[in-house]
Amino acid sequence: MNGVKVLLFGAAADRAGLRQTELPVDDDVTLGDLWPILADRHPGLVPMRDTLAFAVNGEYARMEDPVSPGDEVAVLPPVSGG
Amino acid sequence: MFRIVEEPIDVGTLVTGAFRPDCGAVATFVGTTRIDESSGASVEYLEYEAYRPMADRKLGEIGAEIRERWEVGHVAIVHRLGRVDPGEPSVVIVVASPRRGPAFEASRYAIERIKEVVPIWKREVWSDGYVWVGSQVGTRSPA
Repeated sequence: MNGVKVLLFGAAADRAGLRQTELPVDDDVTLGDLWPILADRHPGLVPMRDTLAFAVNGEYARMEDPVSPGDEVAVLPPVSGG
Repeated sequence: MFRIVEEPIDVGTLVTGAFRPDCGAVATFVGTTRIDESSGASVEYLEYEAYRPMADRKLGEIGAEIRERWEVGHVAIVHRLGRVDPGEPSVVIVVASPRRGPAFEASRYAIERIKEVVPIWKREVWSDGYVWVGSQVGTRSPA
């Protein structure tokens, strides 16, 4: 796979209108580089930006963290378990 | 024992499973679904979803954090997914410790951490739509 798999949950899935998608990535990109592409394709996510957290391969990640082809990126709205 | 389940949680079995001869205190926290009837419509049930297996792993990490901080003999956390009807348990935490202080403190810590770091989301399903708790995104029209 040349891209990353992107999973969306809860309110983010609603806003984007899907629960899973793929984004193309080059080598040497960061999570922060992916956001404009995701926001462009799914503008409903933009108002949520400040509330979202992200995970790469199942662990919380920061925007400066690297993302490689084949990774799984998750878009996580504020958690509300319990 | 850390589990995410899609069926009702057997609270009694979880509690008795924590009894052991070296522990004199078993603290149990049960989170149950609460109905908020602040407007004309009412919540019919809650529905939970999770990012697995990250959520499973985060529950285990909370257990490890508890064992680092307190002397405990047993920690169990079970969270339910899917539809949970009003008044039913959605999360159960059981901590056994030699003495009551650590048992109370560790069980409180567990529920607070769950609400901070475990990727689980709930939506309130109302008679006229739903709302994601914490995001206020949903299909209900604004009151």
